[in-house]
Amino acid sequence: MSVLRPFRATDMFKFNNINLDIWTETYGISFYLTYLSRWPDLCCVQEAPNGHMMGYVIGKAEGHGQDWHGHVTALTVAPEYRRLSLARKMMSLLEMVSDETYKGFFVDLYVRCTNSVAISMYEGLGYSVYRRVREYYGSLGLGRASKDEEDAFDMRKPLSRDPHRRSVRANGREFVVSAHDVS
Amino acid sequence: MSTALDRQIRPIYDALDTQSNKSAVLACNKVLKKQPNNVLVKALKALALVRLQKVEESLLLADEVLAKKPTDDGVLTAMMHVLRGLGRHSDIVAMFETAYKQHPQNEDLGTQTFFANVRVGNWKAAQQVATKMHKQFQDDRYLYWSIFSAVLQANDMATPEALRPVLLKLALRLISSGNTPSYFNPDRFYVHLLILRELEMYDDAATLLNHEIGQKICETSLVCDEIRRDIMKLKGACKQEGEQAKVKILEKKDRNWLEFLSLLDATFWDIASTSEPASEDVKAAVTEEIAKTRKVFSEAATVDGLKDRSGLLALLELEKRTKSHGLWTDACEIRMMAENYFSQFGDKACCYEDLLPYLAFEGEELEQWTSFLNSRKSFDTPDTLQRSINVYKLLRYNLTSAELTPELELARAQEYIKVYLDGLKFGVNLPDTELQPADDFAILVGHAYVSLWKLTGEESHLQSAAATLEYASARSKQSYRIRLLLIRIYHLLGAPALALDHYRLMNVKQVQTDTLSHLILSRAAMWSLAPLGDITYMSECMEASQIYMSNSTETAEFIARAFSTERYSQIIDFIEFEDRLDNSLQRDLMKVEHVRMRVAHEPLNAELVDMELIELKFIFDRIHHDNRDFEVIPNYQPRCQPSFNEQTLPLKPPGAGWLSAYLKVYIRAFQELPLRERLVKKRQEEIDDLSEDEKLFYEYTLALSEWVGPYHDYVRPPPSALLAEAAKSNDLKPGHPLKSMAAAANGSATNGHSKKDEEPPAVKESPELIPKFFDDMKSRFDAVISGTALPSELLHIVATTQEAYLLFALETVRFKPNSIIKQYKFGQLAQSFKDLRVKASSILNEMSTVLAKLGEEVATPDGRKAFVQASSSIQDSSGFDHDFVLGVAKKTTDARKQTYEGIAKGLAKVVKNHS
Repeated sequence: MSVLRPFRATDMFKFNNINLDIWTETYGISFYLTYLSRWPDLCCVQEAPNGHMMGYVIGKAEGHGQDWHGHVTALTVAPEYRRLSLARKMMSLLEMVSDETYKGFFVDLYVRCTNSVAISMYEGLGYSVYRRVREYYGSLGLGRASKDEEDAFDMRKPLSRDPHRRSVRANGREFVVSAHDVS
Repeated sequence: MSTALDRQIRPIYDALDTQSNKSAVLACNKVLKKQPNNVLVKALKALALVRLQKVEESLLLADEVLAKKPTDDGVLTAMMHVLRGLGRHSDIVAMFETAYKQHPQNEDLGTQTFFANVRVGNWKAAQQVATKMHKQFQDDRYLYWSIFSAVLQANDMATPEALRPVLLKLALRLISSGNTPSYFNPDRFYVHLLILRELEMYDDAATLLNHEIGQKICETSLVCDEIRRDIMKLKGACKQEGEQAKVKILEKKDRNWLEFLSLLDATFWDIASTSEPASEDVKAAVTEEIAKTRKVFSEAATVDGLKDRSGLLALLELEKRTKSHGLWTDACEIRMMAENYFSQFGDKACCYEDLLPYLAFEGEELEQWTSFLNSRKSFDTPDTLQRSINVYKLLRYNLTSAELTPELELARAQEYIKVYLDGLKFGVNLPDTELQPADDFAILVGHAYVSLWKLTGEESHLQSAAATLEYASARSKQSYRIRLLLIRIYHLLGAPALALDHYRLMNVKQVQTDTLSHLILSRAAMWSLAPLGDITYMSECMEASQIYMSNSTETAEFIARAFSTERYSQIIDFIEFEDRLDNSLQRDLMKVEHVRMRVAHEPLNAELVDMELIELKFIFDRIHHDNRDFEVIPNYQPRCQPSFNEQTLPLKPPGAGWLSAYLKVYIRAFQELPLRERLVKKRQEEIDDLSEDEKLFYEYTLALSEWVGPYHDYVRPPPSALLAEAAKSNDLKPGHPLKSMAAAANGSATNGHSKKDEEPPAVKESPELIPKFFDDMKSRFDAVISGTALPSELLHIVATTQEAYLLFALETVRFKPNSIIKQYKFGQLAQSFKDLRVKASSILNEMSTVLAKLGEEVATPDGRKAFVQASSSIQDSSGFDHDFVLGVAKKTTDARKQTYEGIAKGLAKVVKNHS
């Protein structure tokens, strides 16, 4: 139960409850305005009835030819609004727009290899690991410098334009690429 | 470009690309030696110079280049960066306009001219350029540029009211002239709908929306769907919307809360849409609608079960509205639904805020609700822990004033501590990047102790709050909510350094500095040790102000970019964002704080005065937006009490009135010209925003300026002489704007620059208010010292007195030299100044001594012991060991000592510097 609405530039004034959480990065103005000035339909907000922001997703469309796809750049939900399936709803909007408006072949996203909660959630939504990207994330500097912290899984879900599921593969966890090889 | 020249120019670009601006200048000079008229090289040199901060030289070159009316792409691009660096945005427009005029076939020049106008918000000119481009190049994109520029012009505050519909009608006409219909893409469709909405042509808009393609667009575009909802509401088509919402909820399983609201609005439409009292027939019809809607929501609730809260929450909202429209509903209905809601979703963190709007129970209902909640406390699993947190929060929300006695609140605080400590077991194995599930109990402890402090006035409760919250913060290192409470409490306790530590750990950055820096920078001058050379708070102001620079250099570019990508739906928001940041209240509050600290930090010389005066005058006429975020501060206080935020503000937060008052104070003090009426006039809005001490201060500054003003006027050289002097020293510099000012001054020069022939103004005794102010502040200080007031209040009094002293020094510095006193026969005046200075100095010195002594006392073992004893309530009840509380006591008392001693030394130094 929440209002699903577009992400607006002025939401930057009210996203503190979400962005003060350690897992959500606050970028410069140009980051948000770049996305809004190009893919506003891939950016949306979930809002509580009292007007507080609960979470948001920021995405883009990219790639060439068969690689043309929707990409989830940031997906975040404030701690007090977790476990309400908000991420699921925002993802389904992003998938729908990537499919119908952008006619992409698939949607993809990156997730820390250690973030098992998120990985299983995405698997539940139909995503699977396409490849492992070495050192995709900078170290958090929290003293737990295991490799898994810095590596990311590139997870994908095919859209209707890819009925033969060519954009995914079964054993993606074993395909390792370096961060330089991905965009 | 010839290869030879290319070989020469490449190194310049390379140097610029790598930010080697000095070598870029050298490379330019080398080429210019052989080709002194190479415009491109001149432009590139100007760019290197502006990056090296050599503004004057750069200006000179830039003017030379502009005079050549360049049209070459390389020159134009370089000049765009130069002029942007120099802040000469309108020259960019003129440059591209000139170039485009020379080459009207050049599409790129047209585009650049359009963007240049967009960046400065010159919508009228932008519209003309776009229209011309559309005619020339026959691209619908330019047509929409022109249409949307007209819409923005209509939106502009500066556009006369009567012109607005004319512009919108023009825009509408242009839409129908396009080669493709507006639904060609969602953003064009959005523009079309926006225009129809502004022109109140709702039926036309509905026709578009009901069209198959219109419907399709709204399904995938949230922006278009949003404006669709808005138009339907304005059109009064609520019932139709309600019918659609019903289908979406039941058949498509849409759980967007907006659909539920549509159905609710439709249900009560017949009553809510008219101000007439509803007839019995209408009431009966609505009651029937309510029953139908209840069925829809119940069905959604049954289907969803625990998966979604919408159905149940909508049922609550339905009951609430039924009741508020005076229709029959069972008294216990809402309570039973709330209980049902709690039973199903009580284990979600947001259950508390979901239920708040429905819980205004009283009497028997309240009793039943309370006993229901009391029976739901349980701490067996993490899920029941969350449920219990909600129970405690909900119980607290409905406490009545009779239940808020110190004894009961203390018992509650102790219970919260107990359950908090118990709850920690569920988070023992969590990594330190995770939040503790029991955090909110610690936050409740903080609330209870703050409430106790409010009830009793005893500082010890704040100390207990600090100790508990520190404990919780160490266990949940990422909880910014705990830090927010600590920041407030440490300020009240006179330990600003600890507040600053917590603020920094929250990692506030980018745009957040606009919305959150108020946490540490509101009236920061009162914590600042600037007189001792400690510029911590001044640097915080500077750092937090970076975002405004980013805004002015970056945001406009994105407005242009949104035109280029045809994302019209974003442009109005971008403009609003830019404006809200540019004219942010917090921005200028920080500016004033910075000035207040700077005056205490630096010698009071002409350079400081001139520079600050220009900046303050610049912001004086701004219309401000308050972007400060107070909502992020948790609040679980009972509904009959003020919020935690309100309770813990050391003083009420400075608003637009406060800003205006302090701007006037400093502009008056820095002002070189006779006082204008606007600066003298007090407005009620200003007075209302000031603390009691600040009100006295404000009166004092008015009396001071009024008294000293005439002597300033007499002694100061006439304005024309000053301007002539300034013009002389500026004559060598290019691009100066002084000529016009000098001319204007000459025009009005008859107005009082022949003063020197007059007698000096008679020396008047100082107004009584001035010495009285210092006496008043001294007695305020004494009263606070002997009473139970908080350190924050004490420091506010001291800071205000010090500021008054500094302003006195600022306003009398001109009359210090013996030559002036002799020349103008100001002996008696000088004596008055001296007497006052001596009086004020002695009061400041006394305050300094007392404060230093207090600082000594507070950080002794005895002081710490007192703190620990004061916090005994949290030790009795719990596992908090003595050493932990002692540690917090040491930190707090040390920080307070540091503040007291620093401010005491600062006072002494201020007196010494200006006596």
